[in-house]
Amino acid sequence: METKLLTEHYGKDEYIKIDGYKKHGGYAVLAKALKMDPKAIIEEVKASGLRGRGGAGFPTGMKWSFLPANGEPRYLLCNADEGEPGTFKDRLMMERAPHQLIEGMIISAFAIGSKKSYIYIRGEYDHPIRVVREAIAEAYKAGMLGKNILGSGFDHDMDVYAGAGAYICGEETGMISSIEGLKGQPKLKPPFPAVQGYLRKPTIVNNVETLAAVKYIIRDGAAAYRKYGTEKSPGTKLFSVSGNVLKPGNYEIPLGTPLKDVIFNLCGGLKPGRKLKAVIPGGSSAPVLTADEAMKVTMDYEALAQMGSMLGSGAVIVMDDSNDMVDMLDVIMHFYHHESCGQCTPCREGTGWLSKIVHRIRHGEGTVNDINLVKTVSERMMGKTICALSDAAAMPAISFVTKFRGEFEDYVKKGNQVGGALHA
Amino acid sequence: MPKCKINGQEVEVAAGSTIIQAYKAAGIDICHYCWHPGLSVAGVCRLCMVQIEGMPKLQIACNTEVKEGMVINNTSEVVKDTVKWGLDFHLINHPLDCPICDQAGECGLQDQYMQFGKYDPEMAEAKVKKHKVVDLGPTVVLDAERCILCSRCVRFTEEVSKTNELGIFNRGDRSEIGTVEGKPLDNNYSLNTVDICPVGALTSRDFRFRQRVWYLKEADSVCPGCSTGCSVKVHYNEEGLWRVKPRENKEVNGYWMCDTGRDTYKFVNLKARLLSGRIGKRDQWQEISAEDATRSAGLKLRETVQKHGPDSVALVVTGQYTNEEYKDLLKFFTGELKSKNVYHWLNNPEKMKDFDGLLFRGDRNPNTMGLSAALAAHGVSSKWETLQSQLSGRKLKMVVVAGPENQATFPDMKEKIQMLSQADGLIWLTAGLNADLNQVGSETWQVPLKAYVEKAGSFTNFEGRVQPFKAGTTIVPQALTLSEAVELLAGRDLNWALRPKGLGGPKTNYAVTQRGTL
Amino acid sequence: MSSLVKRPSGVASWYLPGILGGLVFTMKKMLTNLFNQKQMPTLNYPEQKYEYGPRFKGNHVLTVKKDGSIRCTACMLCATNCPAQCIKITAAESEDPSVEKYPISYEIDVLRCVYCGFCEEACPVDAIRMGPEWQTAALNGSKFTYDIQQLAYRAQLKGGVVSVLDDQERHKAGI
Repeated sequence: METKLLTEHYGKDEYIKIDGYKKHGGYAVLAKALKMDPKAIIEEVKASGLRGRGGAGFPTGMKWSFLPANGEPRYLLCNADEGEPGTFKDRLMMERAPHQLIEGMIISAFAIGSKKSYIYIRGEYDHPIRVVREAIAEAYKAGMLGKNILGSGFDHDMDVYAGAGAYICGEETGMISSIEGLKGQPKLKPPFPAVQGYLRKPTIVNNVETLAAVKYIIRDGAAAYRKYGTEKSPGTKLFSVSGNVLKPGNYEIPLGTPLKDVIFNLCGGLKPGRKLKAVIPGGSSAPVLTADEAMKVTMDYEALAQMGSMLGSGAVIVMDDSNDMVDMLDVIMHFYHHESCGQCTPCREGTGWLSKIVHRIRHGEGTVNDINLVKTVSERMMGKTICALSDAAAMPAISFVTKFRGEFEDYVKKGNQVGGALHA
Repeated sequence: MPKCKINGQEVEVAAGSTIIQAYKAAGIDICHYCWHPGLSVAGVCRLCMVQIEGMPKLQIACNTEVKEGMVINNTSEVVKDTVKWGLDFHLINHPLDCPICDQAGECGLQDQYMQFGKYDPEMAEAKVKKHKVVDLGPTVVLDAERCILCSRCVRFTEEVSKTNELGIFNRGDRSEIGTVEGKPLDNNYSLNTVDICPVGALTSRDFRFRQRVWYLKEADSVCPGCSTGCSVKVHYNEEGLWRVKPRENKEVNGYWMCDTGRDTYKFVNLKARLLSGRIGKRDQWQEISAEDATRSAGLKLRETVQKHGPDSVALVVTGQYTNEEYKDLLKFFTGELKSKNVYHWLNNPEKMKDFDGLLFRGDRNPNTMGLSAALAAHGVSSKWETLQSQLSGRKLKMVVVAGPENQATFPDMKEKIQMLSQADGLIWLTAGLNADLNQVGSETWQVPLKAYVEKAGSFTNFEGRVQPFKAGTTIVPQALTLSEAVELLAGRDLNWALRPKGLGGPKTNYAVTQRGTL
Repeated sequence: MSSLVKRPSGVASWYLPGILGGLVFTMKKMLTNLFNQKQMPTLNYPEQKYEYGPRFKGNHVLTVKKDGSIRCTACMLCATNCPAQCIKITAAESEDPSVEKYPISYEIDVLRCVYCGFCEEACPVDAIRMGPEWQTAALNGSKFTYDIQQLAYRAQLKGGVVSVLDDQERHKAGI
């Protein structure tokens, strides 16, 4: 079940350094790619059906082909601002296989004709920042970066840009603002980054995992990559499983694997005597699944969308019957309230409002009407803002209060009995 | 020229215009805060949502281009609900202290709530506390709680004044407008941020708390502050003018005006004005009506010309009067009195060509161009030095001065008054009071003139654009226009029945002020 | 054409019974009041004075805050609402940022005032009330313009009436 493509050499310490990496076939794919026609690489990626691994799942090859065909300078940005609560797949990639990312990036940059790329790593990732910086220095020394890479005539420069830890900088336009030196706030679309992005030049923003996967698509070919996964969601995906399972961690599995298998086989199941209550399948912004739904669903973009949730960044958060859903939503709402950039009114005011209502319910001061209000407010926030943060806050709120309404009502009742002093 | 359908109405717009521009062009109401025609699109208030046929989600009108054949509406239930909730989101952390807010009466939140909102608020949480009465600079005060973070002011300092003093600090609902330490909002265009602020977050230190806006009336005028001649509206009540605001005029000033121009209401008000005619010299002044003072001055002037010839009198003019007034004045002086001694009094001639790149010009007279044209038309080309030598040679018996209306722009007032008072008689036509004028030794007639808001006429601005304006209000009932003064100087009669009456000042109860002891 | 006005009949024009009837009535009342003074409906003004209820719309009172300063925020809603236009307020910026705006002068011209109570209705912060005082005689016309001193701190108010609306408490409640 576990298919180690990207994670094959995670366990080997030598893989972090360029010499060890080369020993395991590193930078051979780059040499192969540099001899290819850039257009052929894009076609190959398109054929592989690779979809963005950062959360939205947009087909990568299609994104690349949006670039205008003029000679303007263009940029490749690697989104390593892994802020989604529950996600830790990119961190491991950067810590354990930094050259894999760098090689994937150089291939992608060659494909889109970019001479400069940045890896935007969130500020809290102190160790990955250092590892990636060292790896880039090594790559420069080895001639994998800089002028005339491997004698192909292709020049490329790469840099690490450390963010300051804002969740919103993981949104592609927010990240572009941040790299430009502005306050990390998403920009209006249109124009899309592929047309006007970093410094108003065409820009492609891809997730760490996406860029690393490009290397394997070029190495084995699109057809080989398509062997994994389903028809519409091909390939493997890294899942960060956390919560109440016995063996939480990063797992690489082909898309389309049943969630049941992930939880009960790969992760060793729940603690003895506990019952599965809910699963968040794709990071805190994905709507929660009840135990029944979780048992049925397979982990791919389509099946989860059908379930009314999403694959997101692949952060599976497992909750058993010891977890309190009201508590959980309070924490999630607090997070979004804290991380809203404050640009669009519905999100700026709505996240704060939701957080305050849920907080009040949790402290036994809510009313039944408050539960309805959470839903009403959330619905009015969805799809009304520049970026998806308000949707990300609204979707879990709606799913929590509809799927676990009973627990919220219990809190209201309990609160009424003790006169509103729960968790005081 | 793409055509679209807005709320069922066929609208044709210029290529590349956005939906909100189409709405404005068609005159259809659309709710919005952050969009301003003179600034870039921010798209953050999320209120100008419209439904476009064929698009699954609502779109913001300010950032969506009109495409041929688009069918747009903002009257469907979905849009109405969205706008209503959008307003609710704006208001949940707004303090709703309209009674003590200076913006009340001209507030975007009030207006749009009445038009698009009218919901029952459901917010029961404690509001976010932010800073109040924040000193942004010498001219502007911020109340962060009232701010709806539309970012208009920030974009203004970024894009128009290009001074970048303002920014939004902090995130989420803790966001606040602010300045960086050591760099206050201090530029000559800072008060435009107050104009474009749709709520009472930014208030002008000069106007703040002085009047409730619903007591004020509005009149269109042209700013006399410099030769740009921005279109403005003046706000006044029976006590006088309270503020000057820019009026949209794409050809001259766009949507803006400078802070210096906003001060032009000060010299118009009663405290700064000459209220009646005065005759006499140093410390011996007699107050008489404007009409009598002018008649007596005219008698003396014509007598002098008869006795000593037209070269014994001179006319000194400043560039602060209307084209029509110049015409009448010069016709009288060069035609009737046959004197060629007409001099153009320039304030700081070395700065005349200065320009700050946006609106403000070094030539602080509204009508220098008009005066030059009038002088040329009457064949006058005298040099200022000639006047100086004539004065020091005691050749002049009478000097008529059409003095500056905005005296602050004439830094050399004192020296020039001393210089001109070398003549035996001085007829000083002026709107404002001047302490130095009360100290002259020669016999002087002071005649009160009207200020720019009190008369109709036209100014010719720096590029030769003739800008007509109408009379707004009357502050000094006795004051004459320059043309009227010329008529009286020439010994002719005025139709007093046609003259406007003053507003009468603040209301007082006669029983209180007049009755005395019972 | 006959007149529309009815001529009084002969009996009615005979006035003596009316006069006598009136005298009897007056005498009856006088005697009842003399022997039964407690139930007498009139007062011996000015020795006795009538106390109106607290809702009587008499002389205006400007309320004060707990610290004794004036409650009015100079919002001018009373002046705007006043049908007699008898309220004149000059606002100013307070040095205390929590106050922000306050009146440096608040004048009511009570000779213009129609005692309608609209000012009280319009006030959002319970800063102006109409009290039960009603004796407003004065010797001089200028005495009828009440200023802040008179409206808020006159001797009858014993140091001022405290407003029910306190900003500090409202802020604590999150408003």
